[in-house]
Amino acid sequence: MPDPLASLTLALAIILFLTVIFWPTFGLINQWKRHQRTSIRVLTEDALKHLYKAEVEGRGATLQSIAGTLQIGIERTTSLLAYMQRGGLVTWEEGRPQLTSVGRHYALHIIRAHRLWEYQLADQTGYGKTEWHALAEHREHELTRDDVSELSVKLGHPRYDPHGDPIPPASGHLQTHGGKPLMTLAVNQTGHIIHIEDEPETVFAQLVAEELSPGMDVRVLDKTRERIVFWADGDEHILAPMLAANISVVPLPNADRSKFFNTEHLSDLKPGEQARILRLSHFCHGAERRRLLDLGLTKGTVVEAELASAGGDTMAYRIRGALIALRSEQARLIHITRLRAADAP
Amino acid sequence: MMKADGNLLATEASCKSCPLYHAAHMKKLGVDMEDWDYVVALAGNPNTGKSTVFNALTGLHQHTGNWPGKTIARAEGGYAYANKRYKVVDLPGTYSLLAASVDEEIARDFVLFGQPTVTVVVVDATRLQHNLNLVLQVLEITDRVVVCLNLIDEAIRHGLRMDHRRLARDLGVPVVPTVARSGVGLAELSRAIHEVATGKIICHPYRVQSEPPELKQAIKTLTEKIEKALPDLPNARWIALRLLDGDERIATALRKGELGDLRRSTVGETDSPRPADEPTEKALVEEILASAQSRRSTIGYNVHERYVEAIYTDAARLADRAVTLADEKPRFDVDRAIDRLVTSRIWGFPLMIGLFAFIFWLTISGANIPSAWLSALFIDTICPMLREGAAAVGLPWWLRGLLIDGMYLTVAWVVSVMLPPMAIFFPLFTLLEDFGYLPRVAFNLDNIFKKAGAHGKQALSMMMCFGCNAAGIIATRIIDSPRERLIAIITNNFALCNGRWPTQIILATLFIGGLFPSPLAGLISSAVVVGVTILGVLLTFAVSWFLSRTLLKGEVSTFSLELPPYRPPRFWQTIYTSMIDRTIFVLWRAVVFALPAGAVIWLVANVHIGNVSLAQYLIGFLDPFGILLGMNGIIILAFIIAIPANEIVIPTVLMLIVLVTGAGDVGAGAGVLFEPESESTLKPLLASGGWTLLTAISVMIFSLVHNPCSTTIYTIYKETGSVKWTAIASLLPLVLGIVLTFFVAQLWRLLAELG
Repeated sequence: MPDPLASLTLALAIILFLTVIFWPTFGLINQWKRHQRTSIRVLTEDALKHLYKAEVEGRGATLQSIAGTLQIGIERTTSLLAYMQRGGLVTWEEGRPQLTSVGRHYALHIIRAHRLWEYQLADQTGYGKTEWHALAEHREHELTRDDVSELSVKLGHPRYDPHGDPIPPASGHLQTHGGKPLMTLAVNQTGHIIHIEDEPETVFAQLVAEELSPGMDVRVLDKTRERIVFWADGDEHILAPMLAANISVVPLPNADRSKFFNTEHLSDLKPGEQARILRLSHFCHGAERRRLLDLGLTKGTVVEAELASAGGDTMAYRIRGALIALRSEQARLIHITRLRAADAP
Repeated sequence: MMKADGNLLATEASCKSCPLYHAAHMKKLGVDMEDWDYVVALAGNPNTGKSTVFNALTGLHQHTGNWPGKTIARAEGGYAYANKRYKVVDLPGTYSLLAASVDEEIARDFVLFGQPTVTVVVVDATRLQHNLNLVLQVLEITDRVVVCLNLIDEAIRHGLRMDHRRLARDLGVPVVPTVARSGVGLAELSRAIHEVATGKIICHPYRVQSEPPELKQAIKTLTEKIEKALPDLPNARWIALRLLDGDERIATALRKGELGDLRRSTVGETDSPRPADEPTEKALVEEILASAQSRRSTIGYNVHERYVEAIYTDAARLADRAVTLADEKPRFDVDRAIDRLVTSRIWGFPLMIGLFAFIFWLTISGANIPSAWLSALFIDTICPMLREGAAAVGLPWWLRGLLIDGMYLTVAWVVSVMLPPMAIFFPLFTLLEDFGYLPRVAFNLDNIFKKAGAHGKQALSMMMCFGCNAAGIIATRIIDSPRERLIAIITNNFALCNGRWPTQIILATLFIGGLFPSPLAGLISSAVVVGVTILGVLLTFAVSWFLSRTLLKGEVSTFSLELPPYRPPRFWQTIYTSMIDRTIFVLWRAVVFALPAGAVIWLVANVHIGNVSLAQYLIGFLDPFGILLGMNGIIILAFIIAIPANEIVIPTVLMLIVLVTGAGDVGAGAGVLFEPESESTLKPLLASGGWTLLTAISVMIFSLVHNPCSTTIYTIYKETGSVKWTAIASLLPLVLGIVLTFFVAQLWRLLAELG
């Protein structure tokens, strides 16, 4: 019989070994993948993306800005740009790198691949909002032009990615979302969120935690140097300017102000109480949204909370005659206006 | 209520005397449908009694349960009516046909491309408004529709008055009220189908009207274009809508001319697809597509969403016109009262635990007696007869051994251990299912499962797994969220099945209960078995949690749980279908897998390499590995041989011990399974095979946590259709079992050394 101490030590060593290889963050496999990500092709494509976006937004790219975006040194950036120049992707004008038309076409493909992939992640998978960007960032380098057109067909040619960025056509020009920062709205001005920037990740994660999403109507309630208070689709939010900078809006000067009141959520109902549905939050997306709609949770529907689960959290609602249980985080995404017993049909 | 029921029956009776009554013309054809005149598609929301209508029409016994989502694979059957043969295709139950999920796509594609002559939409009369969503969508796709207004008796019980004539006028298609489970209205349904199929009734289906103006305008312009280009299409409006929603499947179909089959003029005929080969038509199609694409970008909002809202607005209006509440509302709502009780914070869980404890008790204690009978019949009576018979016919010894001692005996063993508990457990469980109680259990337990990233309905597939893991895998069909369903499938094996209960009970009694004085022994061994079960449940949660955050993170997750109305279960029919569907089905698969296992058992014991039997050779080879896990080569070999059927682990171990040690007076020969006379002979026998307390504990753990049996693995493959998930579901518990037993064994030995 093998010595237990020896075999235990050996087993622990094996487990340690496997951990070192497979662990999602510091594991060797992951590090190797990360190394792949800094291969010359990937760096080229990322640099092209950066150059094109900078060009469209009219804030010309510099050596420093490229180095910063790609997180590589100036020296390596210089040799990267020289490599791209030899390939006919960039030229130097007035000491700044400029895209050639070949380079622009290439960049457009990468951006298109990225945004379509994000759309596919949002629409057809269960990945969380904060995971989309990193996954697309990786995937954009693997998709060929044919893959991308196939993907576009499969998804029904979507026009915007889930963050509100327009998905460019296979050939043509990159459009911007055309919004302006939320902070530029004055107090009491109204607007419509058309874009939420997903970088940096930590900032975006906080906006996701606030359940903010493109498609929402906003109204600024208060604004100081330290914070902005605003109403968005029924709820009030308080954000630091650094976070708010990631939100872009189009002003809606003629918005119907009577719509801008604070609303309750379906999850606020207690058994026996009735309400009319105002809207499904724009935060709810993809398969989940379609399911809720198909269950009959459309605007104007009257619902009644009927049963609370013995285990808590899940509540059954009477929806168009059917008794359907929803979890609290789902019910939270449904905005309602409460009906008093007398109003009930 | 009584009066209303009486009316219904009176109607049925007077129908039978009516000259129009065609029941005599109706013949159920089951699956015999070599050729047919018409194809009928059955669509409907989940849990509207669609399968019951299917069974009633065809005479088949597809399992129906009070559950959303019973029909996953497409079922087909047939019947004859007025000298015409009808093929009936039961489509998956869906809430919608907008092709958002696989089920919806299957149903939609069949209604659209499968060329059914008539589409019957089964509707739950108690939830008319909810169900009209699907009806209105079907009416957009095809003209030839019959609405089957099912469960009309329940609607009456709930105090609803249905004006089905008004509904029929509004929808522009026949509406037939039925109670499919008792056969009421089925003759009228088949007549309506017949009349629509033969063109006697021409439908003028209702079209959704409440779209917002811009969308309406876009649909109108595009529809006109389509009608001009392809005048034969009955559903130009719907195609326009789908194109505006960016449905590429429809665009492709339009390009290939696949939609031409649905021409109005060719009712019942099945032409071959007409390709859009004429250049003008092709150009027109491209023009339509381009126009749809450009309109899409100008509409500027989600077409899908506005359309769903429009449908529901219309559904609500139509339902309001067709349904009125009876003047005197039922004074006491039984459903609500039951619901309040079974989901109450105080009574919900005690009731549930009590009910399931009762079912398990009934299963375990009730199964012993028939098990003993079957064992006496198959093993003590028939087996010797077979042996004598084989000897009399003069079969060679090795063939006798292989067939009788190997294959027959193993199958007999599996059947006598497996059949009785399943024949008790499954019908009881099915009765609760039919009544509608099980969705409430899922509802109560959902919060616990949610924390592990799983679905409340997994509680029920787990419960089925306690009976049989393969049946539990099939039960995961009720989980309609892809991620949670995979979680339930992969973790199924941590619920002890009836092939493993006996192993746990006997080892707990002999090795752990036996350490304590007799009054305590029984209690302790029961506690140990319960403890192992709980360990399994905890592992289920832990592995579910892990999977939902790693491997299955990208799978779609959409929670929803419909709590259907309670329905009095049909006792005998439930017993019958659960016997056929679950018990016999699972048993048959187990037998199929046990036959080769029996052959292997006999062969390893009787095939010799040199002087050593194959079994001894393998045992020697596996021994070091087994010892590492606190077991030995015999046990590992038994687990490998018993992959087809877990119930033969202990018998195989005993047979192998006798084979290896040559223990004289016990056993029935090489490769022959046997059961020791009593527990007092069992323990010394195991001890002679080197068993200690650690061995017993390791075997108990490994029996809980190892690969599923081959029946289950096969079922997983059938259900997921994926080699990847099948491999993960098989290997993950095996690896976990090896790791667990290894650490238990090594730590045990380390402590023993130190102590």
